[in-house]
Amino acid sequence: MFFKLFLLMLKNLRRHLLRTSLTAVATMVLVFVVILVWSILYFLDVVTQERAKDLKAIVTERWQIPSQMPFSYADSLSRGAASKPDDIVPDDSMTWQFYGGTLDPNKRTRENLIFFFAMEPKKLRTMMDDLDTLDPELIRKMEQNKRGVIVGQERLKALNKRVGERFTVSSLNYKGIDLEFEIVGVFPQGRYDQSAVMNRDYLNDALDDYYRKRGVRHPMHDRTLNLVWLKVPDSRAFARVAEQIMTSGLYTQPAVKCETAASGISTWLDAYRDLIWGMRWLLSPAVLVTMALVVANTISISVRERLTELAVMKVLGYRPWHLLVLVLGEALLVGGLSGAASAGLTFWVINHVFGGLKFPIAFFPEFLVPRASLWWGPVLGAATAVAGSILPAWTARAVRVSEVFAKVA
Amino acid sequence: MGQQALVRVYDVHKYFRRGGEQIDVLNGLTLEVPPGQFLALMGPSGSGKTTLLNLIAGLDKPSAGEIWVGDVKVSALSESQLARWRTRNVGFIFQFYHLLPVLTAYENVELPLLLLPMSAAERRRQVLTALDLVGLSDRLYYRPGQLSGGQQQRVGIARAIVTDPTIVVADEPTGDLDAKSAKEILDLMVELQRALDKTIIMVTHDIRAAERAQRVLHLDKGRLVEDGPMPVPRSVPVTDRSTP
Repeated sequence: MFFKLFLLMLKNLRRHLLRTSLTAVATMVLVFVVILVWSILYFLDVVTQERAKDLKAIVTERWQIPSQMPFSYADSLSRGAASKPDDIVPDDSMTWQFYGGTLDPNKRTRENLIFFFAMEPKKLRTMMDDLDTLDPELIRKMEQNKRGVIVGQERLKALNKRVGERFTVSSLNYKGIDLEFEIVGVFPQGRYDQSAVMNRDYLNDALDDYYRKRGVRHPMHDRTLNLVWLKVPDSRAFARVAEQIMTSGLYTQPAVKCETAASGISTWLDAYRDLIWGMRWLLSPAVLVTMALVVANTISISVRERLTELAVMKVLGYRPWHLLVLVLGEALLVGGLSGAASAGLTFWVINHVFGGLKFPIAFFPEFLVPRASLWWGPVLGAATAVAGSILPAWTARAVRVSEVFAKVA
Repeated sequence: MGQQALVRVYDVHKYFRRGGEQIDVLNGLTLEVPPGQFLALMGPSGSGKTTLLNLIAGLDKPSAGEIWVGDVKVSALSESQLARWRTRNVGFIFQFYHLLPVLTAYENVELPLLLLPMSAAERRRQVLTALDLVGLSDRLYYRPGQLSGGQQQRVGIARAIVTDPTIVVADEPTGDLDAKSAKEILDLMVELQRALDKTIIMVTHDIRAAERAQRVLHLDKGRLVEDGPMPVPRSVPVTDRSTP
C-alpha cells in the first residue's frame, strides 16, 4: 500500500510539472546558498575548535600585529624555552617567515606577485596540514638547492611558469633583497593551490649577505621571524610550554605570547565577528525560512486544488494520517531530492570546477565545500519541506468531507 | 417490513450552528431500508436528503438519534472506526464522479482496495471484475480526462462496488450526465442491484431516476413527508418496478 501511496505522490507531483520544477529549482538555489555559507562556517568552526590531543601552539609577538620577532628567538622557542631538566620540550616545531615580491617590479600585477612561506623544508611533511604525503624527493631538492621552491598549481599557472624554470623576485617586504628561485615542484591540488614555500636558510643567508656587503643590517634584520608553531601532545603539555615561554626572560624585546592555533585563529577572526555572526544567525535562518515558505506556498496551492480529491480519499476509507503522509511525502520528495541534487552539484562545481569558494576571510583565501554537505543538502531540503508543508498537510488531514461536497454541489 | 432491515435510522436529528443560530436539517427522522432495496431519496434543496445520505454512509454523525447498518451502530463509531467501516461496507457514487485525475481507470478502482488486506493478485482480479461489470474492460489504462462523462461515472460505479460493500450510496449519480448517459448509468445501477443484490440508496432530483428505484422517499424540512410506493419484496424481480 505504501508503494502505491508513493506512486500517487509521484503522480501528484507530475500533475503540475512546471510548478514542481520551479519549486525544486528554488529549493536547489536556496540549498546552494546555505551550503556555501555553512561551508565557510564549518571550516572556521573546525580551525577554531580546540583539540585535546596533538595541539598546535602558535608563538607570536605579544603586542603587535603583524608579529615580527628576531630570528634569534627561533632556536629557543622551537624547544619551548625549556631550560630546566623537567621542562617540557615540544614534539615538533616550525618557524614561519614571509617573503613576498613581484616578478616584474616595473609593472606589478596580481598575476606576477608571489608570497613565500620561508621554513625548514623537512617541516612541510611533519607540521603542515594535509602535506604528510608530499613527495620526499621535493623536500630533498629544496634542502640540496636553497633556491628551490614548491609552488601551488594555480599560482604557478598565474605566473606562467613550469617546474624547472627559474625566476627572480623583487621583494616588497624585504626591500633590496631580490632573490632568484628555481621551481622544484608543485603542491598537490587543493588548499595550497595559491601558496608557495621557500627554504628559510636562503632568506636568512641573504640577510647576512646584505650586512656583509653593505656594512649595515637590513631594516628587517631583527624582525624576520613572524611566528613559530609548536606541536605538543595534549592540553596539559601546552599549558606547561606556554608557561615556560611566557615566563622566560629570553623574550622581552619584543615580548611574545603563546596560544593554541585555534585561539590564535579566533583572535584573527575577531575582526570578522559581526560578518560571521550575520552569516550564521541572520543569513542562514533567513534562507531556511524562505525555503520553507516556498514549499509551503506550493503545497498549500496543491492541497487547496485537491481538497475534493482528498475528501474522496477520506470517503473511500483513507484515514487522516494517510492524507497527512501523502502531502508531507510529496513535500519531502521535492525538498529531499532537490536538496540532494543541489548538494551534489555544489560539491562538485565548487570543489572540482572552481577549486574552492573564493571568499577571503582573515588569512583564508578560499573555502572548500566539505563532504558533509552531501547530507546537509537532502536533510535541509527535506526538513524545510516538512516545516513548510505541515500546515497544508494538516489542512488535508482535517478535511471535512461533508463540507467539501456541500461546496462542490 | 417483514424482515430485519439492513439500514435502520431512529429518531435522527441533525443540526448545524451558524453563528449563534441553530439550523435544523433533520428533525427526528425514522427510516428502515431492507437489504437489497434500491431506494431513492427526493426532496427540494435543503430538505436534508444529502445529510441523511452522509449520516447513513458514516461521513457525518447525527446530533441525536441512532443509525444502524446491519449489526453496526454507525452513529456510535469514532472517526477512525467509521473510516475503517466505510472501506468495507459503503460504496460511494458521486454526481461529479470524483475520480483522481492522475490515476488510470484501473488505479482509481483499485484505490479503496489498497486499504484492505489482500494480495496484489486478488486485488487485480477484483478490479478487473468490477471494470468488466461496468463494461470498461477495454479502458483499463485510460485516465479520467480521456473518458466521457458516462464512462467516468461507470468507473465511479466500479470503484463503489469493488470492495463488495454492504450498501451503495449515490448522490445525484446522473446529475452531470446527458439523458442518454444518465439512462445507461441508471440501467447499470438497476442491473448491478439485481445481479449483486446490493442495497442502494440514491439521492436525486430527477423524477426519471427516482422511477427506477423500488422505493421513493420524499423529504421536506428534515422530515419524511412521503414514503412510497411500498417497497417491493426482495423475491420480486426488480424489473417489475424499475422498467417503465
